[in-house]
Amino acid sequence: MALDKKSGYRKNFSLGVTFIVLISILFVLSLFLAFNFSKKSIENEFVSEKVNVLEQSIKPYNDFFQNKMPEISYYNGFLDSATASKFVDTIMLKYSFVSRVTFYDTEVKNMPVKDGMNVGKLSIGPKSIFQFGKNVAADSIRLFSESDTKSFKVGDDFNAMAYKLVTFVDQLDTVAVPTQEELFTNFSVVSSNKITYLNIPRREDLKVYKDMMRRRLNPSPVYQQDMLVFQLNPNKIKVVNTRPLLYQKIQVEPLTYDPIDTSDENMTTEIALPGAFSDFKLYLTSSKSYIKREIFIYFMPIALVLLLVYGVLLLVAFLIYRNLNINSKMFKLQYDFVNNLTHEFKTPVSVIKIAGNNIKSATALSQKEQQLYGKILDEEADKLNGLMNKLLAFTQIENKAIKLNQETVNIRDFIESTIESHTLKHPDFKMTYEVVGFKTFITDPVLLGSLFDNLAENAYKYSKPENKKLHMSAKLIKGVLVFRFADKGIGIASGELNNIFKKFFRIQNEYNQMGSVGLGLAFCKELVNFMEGEISVKSKVGLGTEFKIVLPYNS
Amino acid sequence: MLKRIILLVFIAAICACKRSGDVGIIPVDDFFKTQDKAYYRISPDGKSLSYLKLQDKKLDLFVENLATGKSVQLTHLTEKSISFHFWTSNNELIYYAEDDTKERKSDLFVINKDGSKQVQLSSNEKTRVRVIEDQLIDDKYIIVASNKRDSTVFDVYRLNVRNGKMEIAAKNPGNITEWMTDNKGILKIAVASDGVNETLLYRENERKPFLPVITNNFETTFQPVAFPENEPNVLYAISSVNRDKNALVALDLKTGKEKKVLFANDTLNVTETRYSRIQNKIMFVTCETWKKQKYYLDNETKLTYSKIDQLLPGTEWRIMDNDKMDNVFVVRTFTDKNPGSYYLYTVSENKLKKLTDINSSIKGESMSDMKPISFKSSDSLTINGYLTLPKGTKKTNLPVVVLPHNGPGGRNTWGYNAEVQFLANRGYAVLQVNYRGSNGYGKSFYAAGFKEWDDKIQEDVNDGVRWLIANKIANPKKIAIYGNGFGGYIALNCLYKNADLYSCGGSNSGVINLFSYLKGIPPFLKSNLQMYYEIIGNPVTDTDYLRSASPVFHADRFKLPLFIAQNPKDPRVNVAEGVQFIKELKKRNVPVTYIEKEEGPNPIKRQQGRTALYKALEEFLKNNISKK
Repeated sequence: MALDKKSGYRKNFSLGVTFIVLISILFVLSLFLAFNFSKKSIENEFVSEKVNVLEQSIKPYNDFFQNKMPEISYYNGFLDSATASKFVDTIMLKYSFVSRVTFYDTEVKNMPVKDGMNVGKLSIGPKSIFQFGKNVAADSIRLFSESDTKSFKVGDDFNAMAYKLVTFVDQLDTVAVPTQEELFTNFSVVSSNKITYLNIPRREDLKVYKDMMRRRLNPSPVYQQDMLVFQLNPNKIKVVNTRPLLYQKIQVEPLTYDPIDTSDENMTTEIALPGAFSDFKLYLTSSKSYIKREIFIYFMPIALVLLLVYGVLLLVAFLIYRNLNINSKMFKLQYDFVNNLTHEFKTPVSVIKIAGNNIKSATALSQKEQQLYGKILDEEADKLNGLMNKLLAFTQIENKAIKLNQETVNIRDFIESTIESHTLKHPDFKMTYEVVGFKTFITDPVLLGSLFDNLAENAYKYSKPENKKLHMSAKLIKGVLVFRFADKGIGIASGELNNIFKKFFRIQNEYNQMGSVGLGLAFCKELVNFMEGEISVKSKVGLGTEFKIVLPYNS
Repeated sequence: MLKRIILLVFIAAICACKRSGDVGIIPVDDFFKTQDKAYYRISPDGKSLSYLKLQDKKLDLFVENLATGKSVQLTHLTEKSISFHFWTSNNELIYYAEDDTKERKSDLFVINKDGSKQVQLSSNEKTRVRVIEDQLIDDKYIIVASNKRDSTVFDVYRLNVRNGKMEIAAKNPGNITEWMTDNKGILKIAVASDGVNETLLYRENERKPFLPVITNNFETTFQPVAFPENEPNVLYAISSVNRDKNALVALDLKTGKEKKVLFANDTLNVTETRYSRIQNKIMFVTCETWKKQKYYLDNETKLTYSKIDQLLPGTEWRIMDNDKMDNVFVVRTFTDKNPGSYYLYTVSENKLKKLTDINSSIKGESMSDMKPISFKSSDSLTINGYLTLPKGTKKTNLPVVVLPHNGPGGRNTWGYNAEVQFLANRGYAVLQVNYRGSNGYGKSFYAAGFKEWDDKIQEDVNDGVRWLIANKIANPKKIAIYGNGFGGYIALNCLYKNADLYSCGGSNSGVINLFSYLKGIPPFLKSNLQMYYEIIGNPVTDTDYLRSASPVFHADRFKLPLFIAQNPKDPRVNVAEGVQFIKELKKRNVPVTYIEKEEGPNPIKRQQGRTALYKALEEFLKNNISKK
């Protein structure tokens, strides 16, 4: 990070901070908006959901109006007080808002009636009137009969319905088939808290009625009609609160109900009831704090989702930052490697250059000089060759571009030749070995040689001049080969142990100022991996290091 | 490769051959086709044959000279359709034509057999006419009954076929439901009804008043047949007076006592008899058990008629018309697998000549046998019925359609039934049950069905289904029930009360509400109202029963898929009620297939409506019978 702009690095610390600040602002902003949205939508729902409350609460009324009431027509005028009483009982049991029912056992005939309606020759009048209800005393069930006519009033519901029937019959088109709806509207009167229903006669009967209006039929017919007047009590409507969390209180109130003490603490809305209840409305109330709770319930899941998105964004940012960091470390290592390698190549090249210059500028070369330069050139060329081989082999191994040569290797001969080549190079290197349990095994001798050379080279390199010792052991233990390379060198600090097998890693110390590219141990690890083995290290600073290689045993 | 192909072709050919052994699907129309020639009448001298034939979608009157075989078309109708016709003399015919409108305006004509002279006797009458005696009296009168004075009662008139004038012969005080003349055309018998009881009235001649002879409850059959020529004041009648089953008796009209029993049997129910005016004797009586059988009262007639039996083996036959001399007959035959044909039979030559097939599309060999069955009901009454199995080898575990017959009264009879054969052809076994309350099994069986509509009658049908299941004929998971009128009523009740037994079903013009049914009894049947109250229930006193027995009040208990067909213009049905019922069923998520059908006197329209109905029914059964 400390590298300046010229090296191609960009600082991204401030970028990171900016990013985090921005998404945090966004997060807070979206939370704010989400809350506002929740508030608005709950307030809207408060106004709109009342339709559902109305629908659910009025369902029994609709069922009564559309399904139960038309059942009267099924009796075709044959209802009598006993059957009507049973019919009313089932209605009152099921529909609590029906408070009282008046039953007019009605006759349609050609004989004029005193109580009822006479139009032309057609007369409609009640034979008897009964009332049914929870609080109707037994002696007041029968309101009217032919012998007791006093309870009949002109303004009674009966006349309104009779008038409707007469009008309908008068205007009846005997050829056309009246629709179901037409019949229903003409045979029911819906007024405030009251529904009057007259059983719908058959088409044939209606035609006869029309005929009866104009002339007296012979024999004089008497048709039975049943008229029922249902008194309804809107306060008995069972209010169904479909959103108990939204509406704190729902009341049935008269249409004009508008309390003065509406404080700011309460939200209210209202909706008018339909049909016979049209003078009443549903009045829905909730306190502000009650609404707030609902808003919070609505807002919570949105906030959680936002938080999750925010968290994921942060995590992604962190991961990108970490990867960038690792990459820049890698880049630094490679940069160092190139530096080292240049340096590494520089020494032999400059030695070759000096030797070349010397040969070029010398007028004559003595035998000794010629030999010296020859030896120098030869050695330095070998060094360069070795460096290049190492680099090449490493990339090959790393890319798995080479194949294993399977040859039988005599372990003693192999170790001895290694010792020989190293002691030739470094006469002060004291190398010992032991072999236990086997003599030969199958492996690639070149790869094995590289492995042994590298480890021996390292042992030599990282030992004090007076203590350059290496003990190699090869043992067959439980079917696997265990090689140990123990030196008395400077050792490796435990904190560095994890890194020594990494590419381009070098411990910064006095021993590796030159002739090292930091590839040695990484190369060894790659080799061992390639040979399907394992490499591990134990070390104590100042006492020495032991590398342990485990290879599969093939013989 | 070639060999393999040949093998494949061979196998395919074998399969195809095997298939063709089965009976394929026969189109719906074929079962119900109406013949284009019908209503044969033979002239009194037996020399000419008249018939109605479909010409440009209208039935027209034709006369064929039997000697030459030449036909003459007498009418060219455009608006009205002929509803009946008859010969009044060897050269003259009378025909009665009605239009399609509600008023049923009618015309009456007399026409010469060669079409040369036509006289219109009445035009655009809104009343109905029934013929009581078609034989000419004084060469100019026939006796008819008409409701022209009062639409609810039929008076008797002498109709002058020369000028169309009608003079009243007997005024109906309001309670006379039937009239009868003697062999000479003199009105002697009237049957009065108060709805429940029928009284036989008799007058010796036209100058004397009608006097009551006997009174019977409507459960009792008393059906006047003929006046024997040489026995004054005696009437032959089919009677179940003091009997369970109908017998043929001779009644003394003076005392009201049975004078003689002509034919009686404890197990046989007399349904018809044939009296020959020329021979002045009973030719045979027909008794119906599971099928109709003729019993001859003497050897001479047996010899004559058994010749027809020999010419038409294995069929049931009826004499539709005859000449005055009992020499030429129009005979109609049928079997369970064939609606049959019309034949002309000449006794003197013992020759049978085929006139026409009722339905030439029906091949007897593709139809299914209708077999009589009987089983014990849960209260140990013997119930009879018919079972028709689909053609094919499989005789067990079949899908079943139960067809309860219409009512009240009535019964299923052995013979070709288009509906049954149609269903059998579609692979269903068809069960028909003559539940209690059906006619033809005696008085007590008939009375056992009174006011049992939603109870024992329905249980008889269910017991039939259980019997089929117990005998492994029915697949208990594939049973449907369907009916017309009261049959539909029984089907609907079964569908919600015995939902475990059936998987689907429906009704065609079904009665869904007994109140409406009783309210809707036509004006000319008003005198029978009390009888209906007894059979079905009294809406004033039996309100609770009628309510619980009417499907319309129980829409909330239906669950099975329903098929409902009705005619929205049917004046007898409270259509609004049907629609309300279906609406409620649909609201309760009952799968309802609703068909609005057209009906009318026009045979073409009727056929189209019928085809649509049965196609819908077929589809409905296919889709729903397995849904259990």
